[in-house]
Amino acid sequence: MTLEIGTPSRARVVQIVRAEGRLRVRIDGASRPVDAVRVGGGAWSLLIGHPVARSYEVAIAESAPGELVVYVRGRLVPVTVGGRFRLRRRGATAAGAPSGPQRIVAPMSGRVINVLVKAGDAVEARQGLVVVEAMKMENELRAIHAGTVREVRVAEGASVEAGTVLVVIE
Amino acid sequence: MRVIRACRDMGLASVAVYSECDRGARHVRLADEAFAIGPSAPTDSYLRIDRLIDAARTSGADAVHPGYGFLAENEVFAAACRDAGLTFIGPAPEVIALMGSKTSARHAAMAAGVPVVPGTAQPFAPDAPEAAIADEAARLGYPVLIKAVAGGGGKGMRLVAAPGDLASATRAARSEAGAAFGDAAIYLERRLARPRHVEVQLLGDLHGTVQPFVERECSIQRRHQKVIEETPSPVVSAELRARITSAAAAVARSVGYSSAGTIEFLLDEDGRFYFLEMNTRLQVEHPITELVTGVDLVEWQIRIARGDRLDLDPAVALTPRGHAIECRIYAEDPDAGFMPSPGRITAIGAPAGPFVRDDSGAEAGSDVPIFYDPMISKLSAWGADRRQAIGRMQRALGEYDVRGIRTTVPFFRWMLAEPSFEAAAFHTSTLDELLQQRQGESFSTPNEEEEEVAAIAAALHEDASRAGRVLLDPAARWVRQDPPYVAPRGGWKRQARVEALRS
Repeated sequence: MTLEIGTPSRARVVQIVRAEGRLRVRIDGASRPVDAVRVGGGAWSLLIGHPVARSYEVAIAESAPGELVVYVRGRLVPVTVGGRFRLRRRGATAAGAPSGPQRIVAPMSGRVINVLVKAGDAVEARQGLVVVEAMKMENELRAIHAGTVREVRVAEGASVEAGTVLVVIE
Repeated sequence: MRVIRACRDMGLASVAVYSECDRGARHVRLADEAFAIGPSAPTDSYLRIDRLIDAARTSGADAVHPGYGFLAENEVFAAACRDAGLTFIGPAPEVIALMGSKTSARHAAMAAGVPVVPGTAQPFAPDAPEAAIADEAARLGYPVLIKAVAGGGGKGMRLVAAPGDLASATRAARSEAGAAFGDAAIYLERRLARPRHVEVQLLGDLHGTVQPFVERECSIQRRHQKVIEETPSPVVSAELRARITSAAAAVARSVGYSSAGTIEFLLDEDGRFYFLEMNTRLQVEHPITELVTGVDLVEWQIRIARGDRLDLDPAVALTPRGHAIECRIYAEDPDAGFMPSPGRITAIGAPAGPFVRDDSGAEAGSDVPIFYDPMISKLSAWGADRRQAIGRMQRALGEYDVRGIRTTVPFFRWMLAEPSFEAAAFHTSTLDELLQQRQGESFSTPNEEEEEVAAIAAALHEDASRAGRVLLDPAARWVRQDPPYVAPRGGWKRQARVEALRS
């Protein structure tokens, strides 16, 4: 089976070959034997290479259809599987051109402490919009791009759930 | 859990209290008895003095240890324990009140002949006019720090660089202080240039003996909150140690201090130190002092409360044996401005092995609630010297594997390898400056090798799931629950294989 796997820096073509009950993986043109066994805590132990094998502990979770997060030795690597990968360049959201209205959502449940903008205000990129308190800390939510506030959907003192749209910016 | 463990070491029974969301928490399961004290919000449970006293009475407990959060520095709670005939494991309520007010604590330090950071002599009441605050700020000179009189942990604290920012910073500090401590009174302090935060742990008994310990260095702070502590301080000489620990002991003696406490100082670039404040409780960073002295501070708190005499050898307390470092690991996403990351921990692999101590209540399947401080572990490492301690901490951080939520582990892996940390060339603003320079750059960027392994693992997973096998983490909440599709014709063989693989 040949798959296209998107990793943060680039897409990689990975081919899996089974022969005589053994597993070989060809990646970036190099072919190596892989041994995978299930270990505790829902993780897998991979031994890559033969006779000298590099040892890795990995765990895999599906974050969305076609998207996985792979923990490699405790480090989180987001990957996409199959032709659907989108190469997300680092910092693209901050530097790229704005596309469509920005919806500023509450990243967690909490209480709105302060609303710093009102509809019609012009805002700069990274300007503070709303202060939400959760877990005893105040967190300022900021604009991603410059724009104009179209809508403020919360008032000070309101309790919000994670994912609630607080401010819409055009 | 730290207190329950000390009780068990001493053969004492322990009683835990819990709020609704903590019913399944480890401290509840570890204790001999446990009492529900109300809903999850702290104001309805952990801050309810009446319910805590009731629980203590019902259980027949002799003494109450207030821990290091919530009511640990609350004189009303300490007095309520005393009035109920319970031994409060901490200083007397009058001493908590005296040292808990930042302004009266400064007076106490001055009276003991210890220098203080120049600042307001009297606190500003919540309704003090802005003009009076502005006059005082101008007298001290900018930049000034606004601090909550009842404050601690960086809450209710604001740095003001210029007069124009004073009014809004005052409002913010008052609102945060009012919410966190129920007291919106504030005071001002001059901001020293590039100071270090050096603090002295001490123990006092009920017979007038006060024993200071080797200093801790806590300058690695993010927005005035300590994130890494170490002991001894890499910049404190034996001569300075003798002076700063004597100064701390003098302040504690002058107020009749008993139990564990910590006096915090700012140390300027010329080696002059200034009294900052006193924490009248056990501190989060106490394990590193225990690691370099071999003294169990919680056991001593209990013994002191029982009336035992503090008979520690001063040389043991003041001579560091090796070096220890602690990282406060939080359920926060360092790649999203350290935003809290509550949720369910799907899997956790905690570090262990030689000279590593992990004080943690987190476990697989447990939730990090939104209601409390999101600290999940106090990870400490010991070495014969600083370099070895750093190496062991890096090893321990490399082993720390938390899934389901984001943690600050990736941040610590970066921080411990930072040249300024390795060189111990830092002050209390160094971390904030370093973070600003990074401009939000990710701490979790995988290297080529990790990406390649992730790609191989993902391909194997995809291959296996198409073949009807599952390589997913079964604890993860996003695991597909549907059984794999099985072709109707000739499918029995494959079905058998699926079941064999799952069992």
